Amino acid sequence: MTGTLTDAPDKEQARTPLARVARLLPVLGSLQGYIGLVLVLLIGIVTQGDVFLSETNLTNAVGAFSSRGILAVGVTLVILTAGIDLSVGSLMGFCSMAAALLLVNEQMPVWQIMPLCMLAGAALGLVNGIGTSVLRIQSFVMTLAMLSIARGLDREMSDNVSVGTQVAGPDGTLTPEAEAFQQLGTPGHNVLEGVWLPFVGKEGVYFPVLAFVVVCVAFHLLLSRTTFGRHVYAVGGNPTAARLSGINVTFVTIAVFTLSGMLAGIAGPIDAAYSAAADPLAGTSYELDAIAAAVIGGASLRGGKGTIVGTFIGALILTLLDNVLGLNAVSDNWQLVIKGSIVVLAVVLQRPDLFRRKEKA
Amino acid sequence: MTARRAATGRAVEGGAATGRRTRPGPHAGPLLAMRAIAKSFPGVRALRGARLTVHAGEVVALLGENGAGKSTLMSILAGVHTDYEGTIECDGVPVTIHSPKAAQALGIGMIHQELNLVPELTAAENIFLGREPRTPRGTVDYRAMDRRAAELLTRLGLEVPPRRPVKHCRIAEQQLIEVAKALNLDVRLLVMDEPTSALADAEVRRLFEVIRDLTADGVGVVYISHRLEELEEIADSVTVLRDGEYVGERAMADTDRSELVRLMVGRTMDELYPRGGEQRSEGPVRLEVSGLSCVPEGGSRLHGIDLSVRAGEIVGLAGLMGAGRSEVLQALFGAYGAGRVGGSVTLDGQPYRPRSPKHALRKGMALVAEDRKAQSLVLANTVRFNTSLASLDRYRRPWHTVDRRREREAVAEQVDGLRVKAPSLNANVDTLSGGNQQKVVLAKCLLARPSLLLMDEPTRGIDVGAKAEIHELMDRLARQGTGILAVSSELPELIGMCDRVLVLCEGRLTGEFHRDAANGPRAEQEALLTAAMAREDVVTGTGGGDAAEPTAGDGTTDPADPTDPADPTDPADPTDPTDPDDRPDTTDTTDTTDTAGTDDDAGTPGGDHR
Amino acid sequence: MRRATRGYAALGLVLTLAVTAGCTSKAPTNEDAGDRNKDEFVIGYSQSNNAEPYRAQINLQLRYYMEKYPKLKLLPISDGQQSSATQLSQVQTFIEKGVDVLLVSPNEPDPLTPVVEMACEARIPVVLLDRSVNTDCHTSFIGGDNYEIGKKAGERAVRELPDGGRVAELRGVLSAKPQIERHKGFMDAIKGHDIKVVAQREAKWLRADATKVTQQWLQGGKKIDLIFSHNDPMALGAFLAAKSAGKAKKTKFLGIDGLAIPSGGIRAVQQGKLDATYLYPTGAKEAARTVADIVAGRKVPKKQTLETVEINSENAAEIYQKYDMSGKIE
Repeated sequence: MTGTLTDAPDKEQARTPLARVARLLPVLGSLQGYIGLVLVLLIGIVTQGDVFLSETNLTNAVGAFSSRGILAVGVTLVILTAGIDLSVGSLMGFCSMAAALLLVNEQMPVWQIMPLCMLAGAALGLVNGIGTSVLRIQSFVMTLAMLSIARGLDREMSDNVSVGTQVAGPDGTLTPEAEAFQQLGTPGHNVLEGVWLPFVGKEGVYFPVLAFVVVCVAFHLLLSRTTFGRHVYAVGGNPTAARLSGINVTFVTIAVFTLSGMLAGIAGPIDAAYSAAADPLAGTSYELDAIAAAVIGGASLRGGKGTIVGTFIGALILTLLDNVLGLNAVSDNWQLVIKGSIVVLAVVLQRPDLFRRKEKA
Repeated sequence: MTARRAATGRAVEGGAATGRRTRPGPHAGPLLAMRAIAKSFPGVRALRGARLTVHAGEVVALLGENGAGKSTLMSILAGVHTDYEGTIECDGVPVTIHSPKAAQALGIGMIHQELNLVPELTAAENIFLGREPRTPRGTVDYRAMDRRAAELLTRLGLEVPPRRPVKHCRIAEQQLIEVAKALNLDVRLLVMDEPTSALADAEVRRLFEVIRDLTADGVGVVYISHRLEELEEIADSVTVLRDGEYVGERAMADTDRSELVRLMVGRTMDELYPRGGEQRSEGPVRLEVSGLSCVPEGGSRLHGIDLSVRAGEIVGLAGLMGAGRSEVLQALFGAYGAGRVGGSVTLDGQPYRPRSPKHALRKGMALVAEDRKAQSLVLANTVRFNTSLASLDRYRRPWHTVDRRREREAVAEQVDGLRVKAPSLNANVDTLSGGNQQKVVLAKCLLARPSLLLMDEPTRGIDVGAKAEIHELMDRLARQGTGILAVSSELPELIGMCDRVLVLCEGRLTGEFHRDAANGPRAEQEALLTAAMAREDVVTGTGGGDAAEPTAGDGTTDPADPTDPADPTDPADPTDPTDPDDRPDTTDTTDTTDTAGTDDDAGTPGGDHR
Repeated sequence: MRRATRGYAALGLVLTLAVTAGCTSKAPTNEDAGDRNKDEFVIGYSQSNNAEPYRAQINLQLRYYMEKYPKLKLLPISDGQQSSATQLSQVQTFIEKGVDVLLVSPNEPDPLTPVVEMACEARIPVVLLDRSVNTDCHTSFIGGDNYEIGKKAGERAVRELPDGGRVAELRGVLSAKPQIERHKGFMDAIKGHDIKVVAQREAKWLRADATKVTQQWLQGGKKIDLIFSHNDPMALGAFLAAKSAGKAKKTKFLGIDGLAIPSGGIRAVQQGKLDATYLYPTGAKEAARTVADIVAGRKVPKKQTLETVEINSENAAEIYQKYDMSGKIE
């Protein structure tokens, strides 16, 4: 990450040591982004020490948030192109219901359910993308409409009844398909048991956590290493410049919405497995948590600015904050107040210019 | 809130109050005196030692090339920039102008070149925006507002009902509504920045009458325009700026156009432009365009344009705002898509159909767009990101990943070659100066290895040093065999850099200039400048729209004039198949032919096409 | 001037429309009501939100029981989508259609009071289901007793923990009236016994939230002998969390609702996940009977409180079969 100095370095730029450090971390986003995380961790350690840091607690905490975290990755992609995706919560609800129905009615194995849900999510995301880019509907409006459409389809599909995924066979025990489906996230079920993994050893990992991390890594690489990633940043930063630089803006726009839908397709089955049931209202207002995670992570709603690492950290902040408040039995009403304040604080901390201006004057 | 407003009011009161008290009495000093004004933007020194004096009842013309600092000076006066150096006095009393509100309190009104109207509101609502009259009940007093607006509009000779939404008014009407808005402020000093650019002759007359009324009342006027003939008519004195510096002040009566042009241009071409008196047009034809027509969204239409660019040749495109210069480049680059562009184009001997920028880049074209911030750069991203953006495919590895090492090397090479001053390749481009930003844009284009480079205002708004470097680069590229088609509003630049200059007007090709070895660049420039200014009459005739008299005075004969001294059967360009002499019957292509042909035949290229 | 005129004109137009609408809605129903010899009576049912499993179950059961009375014709059930404003306009539509009996499950009491009064003025008998409104012009109210349910659950808790114990409570949305009453009933029942409520949180009726909260409790080292949840999904969420922490066997789970659907509480009791759940009766059967009585001119009680039933491993199968609507209705 060191830059090639092309000419005599600008004096102003290199002067402060802080600026030098900040330049070393361009991938990790601004330094301030971590303050929130460190703060939450500190509060957690101070107040609940052992409990907070225990592996089970952290797994539980991240697991509970992981479907929203995965949605946040998709939302980040869309936000990077200066759009917004309000439909992810509904899309996830739709996909979780689809997964449950495929399991219950078709006895479909997990390895078929997952790709099908991803496909379904991607298809609805594609509609979002076409609406935004080809029909030139503002993404806010288009995805707001999709929020309603997907929820309607979800409810129609389910007859407004939640569908349990713990399907029992004739002998009263779970069917093999249902047993396998639990691996996706029903609390207490791990995957890859017996396979040695870094950090966790051979005990296996909780799939929602694994999925969240894998999605983050994959999309981090997609954004930072591929031409497509560059195109996403360019389209969000300056669509005209992107087009005149030979980038197919329409394609990029459609692609980010499709990917966001696809991620909702991953989150859906996980959410269904987590609750051991698909609820017709599952995922309601998840889009707000997802957007909050992206924004806390430094994504700018104006586009072109933000990283998956940032979103990952944003999601962690929200998750751990929720966990810490819960462990400390803070009352529900105050939790709402504190969470809202943290969002504001985290965003303000990422705007060093707010403080710098005073120095100048 | 109220407290704060009161405080601001008091702050300016000191200067303004004394000024107003002495208003009718004997002069304590000139109405406005700006002295030793300096202002710099990051990387660029926009003004240094500029000055301007306006007496009550006087019209002062402010003259200068693009980028000479006129608008910056006026922005300071309007309170837009607060961190300027120098002194401003009103009626001999020093004042500081820290906000637009303070400027208003001093009685300074401003009519900007770009219209500042709210399209959805009515004419009256716009005129009274922010100062709506109120009824005793506290609601907006529409009756009073409409009555007063009607008076103002009538005074300007405008027959627009006060209740017509501005979006339904013609451009000329909007311009006059803007004037009415300023008049409504009860100003003492009125700044008008190109107020007539969209007005027809009759409307210009009316505006001048209004100006004379105002000056008779003791109002001072700063009048910015490129139309010298207008200045001759309305201005009392003229102040000339060049490169941000004060050059001189003349009484209008004691000066003539050629002296003004000399003051504006000021320097000798030969020193500044590397492309001496050479002619390099021996290479193969890179680009051949015939009958290019285009109906862009929100731009100027093009009507059957023919042009060609050879390898190693720099061809300039001159013309006024809205003449369609940028549109030519954009159309060729495929920015309008395939559907909107007509005519035939060959690129390196192969038929070429502009489809998309992506396609154009693949075919070996690159475009330096007009507005680097809006069209070329992703400001919030790094030098490296921006430089490699158009040629990422070159550094592609499997899985569409970017080979970042090769990318960095290539970018570093370009950036070094262009001497971009940046702390590192990972510095964001919005931290760079304008000149360095423009170099990044050039680096991006060069990395795409174009054989034909389209440049739209390649040196606009950058400092002199960077400008010279870019000129050098253009020359070097041409020597290496790149064909360059460049648009510029700076005539000296066109003349200094280009082998040929084509003049566009209203989307038509109306003239071609070759190098004039005999009389030197100075003569050429003056010829071109005179031509460009003469042509504005034509624009005036049509810009106003419908029924403006088609034989716009002497405009009819002008198009032929400027070509005469520079052109006569130029030996330097014998191979050009689209000879400019055939101009009247410019190709019969697609749409627009009939009117275009007749207009040109009749010698009034400014027929009403809108 | 002109602008102002236009404004007044628009205002006037709206007022006129409103007045006319008010008149027309009254007109047709006056003669319809009371005509007991018709062959068919049109019934409108305004549901507050179809997307809650409990309410979806009401809809199914109501359609099922209505079919048992050939003279009653149930119009398509309208869905208020959890919005009082939406439901209000839907009820108005029913009134204008001139239904013979109006069934309403109000989303909230206050916003729907005026429209129920409008129906009364139009002489349409109104039967309120599950929730009431702030007027007594309705013909009958049918609903469960949330206090009673909470109390029964509390009594069961006392029985389950004869030597005293530690109890956690997962509450519904705190502002919801059923939540308040269930909580109160439960607390009253355990009062005076050696039972301590060691934790209580709002889990918003949601399964996922209940899982998360329970995980936090258990992780925080809370010793919990019994978890009382204000509905079955939350109880099941708590069960999942406890199971993954290996504490499901030592903990008792009580829920409320007892829906006869595969993912519902009755099945969960049968499967041994929950120790007991309390039927929150839909009242559909009673509603159908009440409507039939009304059109036949019989007198109906002003208030019908539905009995709850404790569903435990002994009676679960039987109750499931009684209320299972699958296959009984299309």
